[in-house]
Amino acid sequence: MSKEARVHRIKQVVLVTALAIYTMLAAGPFLWVASMSLRTTSEISKDHFRLPDTLHWEKFPDAWFNSNYGVYFSNSLLVVLSAVAILTLVGAMAAHCFARYRFRLNRVLYFVIFSTIIFPPQITIIALFQILVEYGLFNSLFGLTLVYVAFQLPITIYILESFFSRIPNDLFEAARIDGYSEWSIFWRISLPIALPALSTTIILNTILLWNEFLYAVVLITDEDKRTLPLGIQRFMGDQMEDIGMISTGLMIAIIPVVMIYAFFSEKLIQGMTAGAVK
Amino acid sequence: MHEARALRTPWRAVTLFLLPALTLYVAFTAYPVVKTLWNSLHVVLPNRHEFVGLANFVELAKDDIFWRAVRNTLIWACTSPLFEVSIALVLALALYAKVPGARFFRIAWFTPVLMSYVVVGIIWAWIYNYDWGAVNYALRALGLDSWTRAWLGKPETALPALIFITTWMWTGFNMVVLLAALHSLPSEVIEAAELDNCGWWSKLVFVIVPMIRATVLNLVVLSFVGKMKIFDLVWITTKGGPLWATETVSTYVYKRAFEWNTFDLGYPSAVASVWFVIVLCSVLTLTWLFRQREKLEY
Repeated sequence: MSKEARVHRIKQVVLVTALAIYTMLAAGPFLWVASMSLRTTSEISKDHFRLPDTLHWEKFPDAWFNSNYGVYFSNSLLVVLSAVAILTLVGAMAAHCFARYRFRLNRVLYFVIFSTIIFPPQITIIALFQILVEYGLFNSLFGLTLVYVAFQLPITIYILESFFSRIPNDLFEAARIDGYSEWSIFWRISLPIALPALSTTIILNTILLWNEFLYAVVLITDEDKRTLPLGIQRFMGDQMEDIGMISTGLMIAIIPVVMIYAFFSEKLIQGMTAGAVK
Repeated sequence: MHEARALRTPWRAVTLFLLPALTLYVAFTAYPVVKTLWNSLHVVLPNRHEFVGLANFVELAKDDIFWRAVRNTLIWACTSPLFEVSIALVLALALYAKVPGARFFRIAWFTPVLMSYVVVGIIWAWIYNYDWGAVNYALRALGLDSWTRAWLGKPETALPALIFITTWMWTGFNMVVLLAALHSLPSEVIEAAELDNCGWWSKLVFVIVPMIRATVLNLVVLSFVGKMKIFDLVWITTKGGPLWATETVSTYVYKRAFEWNTFDLGYPSAVASVWFVIVLCSVLTLTWLFRQREKLEY
């Protein structure tokens, strides 16, 4: 091996080692929780940093049935799925409209909705609490769903609009000559073409709402209506010392995210970074 | 005839398409914003409200906890972008240099940002635990026992410890965005720089960074805004303590509205309104500043 090749080799080894250390730092905490989720608290308190000797899988059904995680999980699932379904349809309709039709106020409305992205949630949260109480939607999963839809609407419209506006206009003209109605142009041309962008927003919104905490903590108080982040916080407050069981609960919240990420990592990265890349 | 139809706006369709989104937007975003601004001029108790003019804002100016929260939040928002973006740039350049396994690293590093602050907060509260947390464990293993402390329990270390968490969380995200920007650069320019025999440092400072500056600045603004809003992480780990060392404006608004038994929603609305204006103005100023510099340079 020539001297130059050897220097190059050493450089590469150093680089890869440094990157591996950073990877441990990024992933280590999750691996730690994953290992604790399969150990009992008494095992953990003897040594916190050990792989499980016996795998206590029974902790998962235990958390699910006896510590109410099953309820939290289904609440989260219900709210997230319905919010994402509404968001996708409503957001796509609005984005299609902004991209497709020229009308006065078009850019103004678009800009107003878009600028909401930077609003701190505090500016709406107190009033939302009052409004939902007034309309009997406080402490209801339906109310939370509507708030979530409104919360994610700007970013959804932003991502979809930039995709819709790249669809060539000739396509719509042709469809119009074929006698398509405005609605079927949207339903049968825009939407199918926009599937890649739609799947990006669906995955992005699913993850963000699955993790949402602030609106949930203000708008939900009943034990049996808690979403997962609230349930975890509650369990953490009640059972501070039961590290093993809290870890199991954390894994119940993490696993769906990891599964989505495993299948759609590129889509998810695209969605998360959509706002940052111009 | 078709042309004539194409030029006229089909108002019926426009209304149909926009109505659901606009209704939701007005009901759950625009109206609450206006209502909060209105609240801020009132005392709002559960069964009555009373106009008090600017009294809430006068009280705000004298509220030490509020200023403490502003200070903490600004420290967080101003330091985070520096850490996140600079570390991310180093990592992105490392991956750009065609390291084996780059794809794996990219996917692994992005993971923290996908987890909720609730999950991340609990895990890190454990990592910082005095008796058995990973940080003190490592310090003891290295024989640095005097360095061990309750990281989130001491006013001096609590805020830096939280800033470390958000940096840990967001660096991978910034890295991925920067890497995408690097990959979109024309390779000829970088090759030309290599032919000119620039050192890698001058290549970085004079060639690469200027070319991705728009992305860098976007990330800085994004990170800044994110920290100006931060709530979840603080709420899960320290609730603003110890001694208001980690109180942020968001947690203070929440406490005043829903935790303290003052029952008045007017004062926290005033805090939220002031912060809303500050966030909007700082974002506008930042974008304006960055644009000015761009004009000067080109």
